[in-house]
Amino acid sequence: MIRIKNLTRYYQMGPTTVKAIDDINLSIGGGEFVSIIGPSGSGKSTLMNIIGCLDSPTSGTYSLAGEETAALSKDMLAEIRNRYIGFVFQNFNLLPRESAVENVELPLIYAGVPSKERRQKALGILKRVDLEGREFHLPNELSGGQRQRVAIARALAVNPKILLADEPTGALDTKTGAQIMELFRELQSEGVTLIMVTHDRDVAAQGRRIVEIRDGHILTDVPVEEWRK
Amino acid sequence: MKTFKFTESLKMSLRSITSNKIRSFLTALGVMIGVAAVITLVALGNGSQKAVESSLQSLGSNLLIVYSGQPKGPSLVRRNTTNIAPALSEDDLEFINSLPESMVLHAAPESSASGQVKYGNANTGATVVGTDTGYTAIRNYYPIYGSFFAQSDINARKPVAVIGAQVYKDLFDDGFDPIGQKIRINGIGFKVVGIMEEKGSSTTDTQIFIPISTFQKYISGSSKYALINIQAANLDSMRELQKFLEDELLHMHRLPSMDAADFYIANQLDLLSTMEGVTGTFTLLLASIAAISLIVGGIGIMNIMLVAVTERTREIGIRMALGAKSKDILSQFLTEAIILSVGGGLIGILIGISAAYGASRFGGMASVISVQSILLAFGFAVITGLFFGGYPAYQASKLDPIEALRYE
Ligand SMILES: Nc1ncnc2c1ncn2[C@@H]1O[C@H](COP(=O)(O)OP(=O)(O)OP(=O)(O)O)[C@@H](O)[C@H]1O
Ligand SMILES: [Mg+2]
Repeated sequence: MIRIKNLTRYYQMGPTTVKAIDDINLSIGGGEFVSIIGPSGSGKSTLMNIIGCLDSPTSGTYSLAGEETAALSKDMLAEIRNRYIGFVFQNFNLLPRESAVENVELPLIYAGVPSKERRQKALGILKRVDLEGREFHLPNELSGGQRQRVAIARALAVNPKILLADEPTGALDTKTGAQIMELFRELQSEGVTLIMVTHDRDVAAQGRRIVEIRDGHILTDVPVEEWRK
Repeated sequence: MKTFKFTESLKMSLRSITSNKIRSFLTALGVMIGVAAVITLVALGNGSQKAVESSLQSLGSNLLIVYSGQPKGPSLVRRNTTNIAPALSEDDLEFINSLPESMVLHAAPESSASGQVKYGNANTGATVVGTDTGYTAIRNYYPIYGSFFAQSDINARKPVAVIGAQVYKDLFDDGFDPIGQKIRINGIGFKVVGIMEEKGSSTTDTQIFIPISTFQKYISGSSKYALINIQAANLDSMRELQKFLEDELLHMHRLPSMDAADFYIANQLDLLSTMEGVTGTFTLLLASIAAISLIVGGIGIMNIMLVAVTERTREIGIRMALGAKSKDILSQFLTEAIILSVGGGLIGILIGISAAYGASRFGGMASVISVQSILLAFGFAVITGLFFGGYPAYQASKLDPIEALRYE
């Protein structure tokens, strides 16, 4: 599903080059549940942005479902993001002037879903992330954890094949976090490929495979059972 | 696959417009003023053109005027004749009157002076015009009450007067029958015999007509005329008639050429075309002022849309990250600009029509609202929205999603 070869992503900051990702090779198959861990600034979000077709590598290749992403046009990438990828951003990226349900509807608008159907679907997903009764609140009327769940609901709106979640439980207490993990496992059983970035080792352990990143390199890449030891 | 629909753009735009009402209003205001200005100013320009045309037409038809003195350029309509030294003689008039009806229908001499008119305690200023009975037909200007003076009055040099509509209003109470009343013009007593119809022009309506012979005896003391009004037999031969009269009068005055002449002839055709030219330029000028204000309105839209795009960079990034394509973003911002300009345009049309109507109803200005100017202004507003809104919308659509997402 995902094949990354010799991938680098550099940022040029004046005279210095920041190597956010430095020669990463990674393959992830359909239906996997991968946890990415690593210290702050190690390049996790940068990698997620590339996998999510938002950013492009400085060098190396990334192919998604057999397609070289470098060869795809801006609009085709937009369509891939819309139809196949759900992205939970580290900082949520909700539209501040739109209510929870409208935020969840956004990707459905661009998928061309008629408004009634859209609304119904969005309400259903909000229920699934336990946000009943908060549907018509604006993001600034919601708690951090509630916002995070709106972001998760939005990523799930178009039934993505791949769910990319950058710190999806960062703002949640253990109990709600566990509920989200429950949801993720359900999704995995439905065949969704899950890639999750987290600091929390317990949360990371919910994944089936652990990739540890440091300074833009992959340090370890092992099944969860092996990692636990 | 279903595509992003126009209705979605429309909803998003309306939302963003209503979420910042004052700003949206101010943005649309530029276009509103522009469109209203085009409609009002063109209406006033057209109105003044029509007014000038009809006042020229009301001078009479097929009119030639022989003036005393040197011509003062081609564009003068009707010189203030009260201070022309009269140079046209009875011989000149007789010669013109002797021409066959296939050339000249009527001719009437005219001399005028400004005068102070009194009736009881009321008094007013007026132009006292001495003329003969042919005047009414030539100028197509008749008494509405009583009658014009007769040939017998001229022969007997009678002190009788036909007063203009404004003179009547100034001197008499409304509804009072002035016929037979004695008024004093520069201290000389005249008997009122008629009231002229109202022409709506202050120059025309403040005149008092008296027999030319009486004028010569009591007012000018000269036997010459300031001018001679001539009604030509037909429009097509007016220029030939003018040339013929010039030649004959030069001969009679023993003068070598028109350069040395003590008279000149104005032709209604020339006046008409000159005035049309002048008012046409006037209308064009007003229209260009208005068009400039429309462009300024457009720049206002562009300015606000550029600000909006910058302000909403993050929103654009989020929308792109969730699958918005370039054309979706383009259509969202373009729709917003077009709603502002079209909305402003529609309100501007209402304002423009009301202002033009108000100017003629309450401001006494002639205005003729033209459908073309409405269509033109509105079309211009739409194009303004497309053009000036197009650039910011294009900028928005070309943003890089990840850069836009990082924008603070
Ligand atoms: N737009 C940018 N310009 C310059 N440097 C950047 C940019 N984005 C990220 N970086 C740098 O790249 C490195 C990796 O950043 P990244 O956001 O991927 O870290 P992370 O692993 O997600 O960290 P955290 O756990 O704190 O979220 C950091 O050193 C960061 O400073
Ligand atoms: Mg990060």
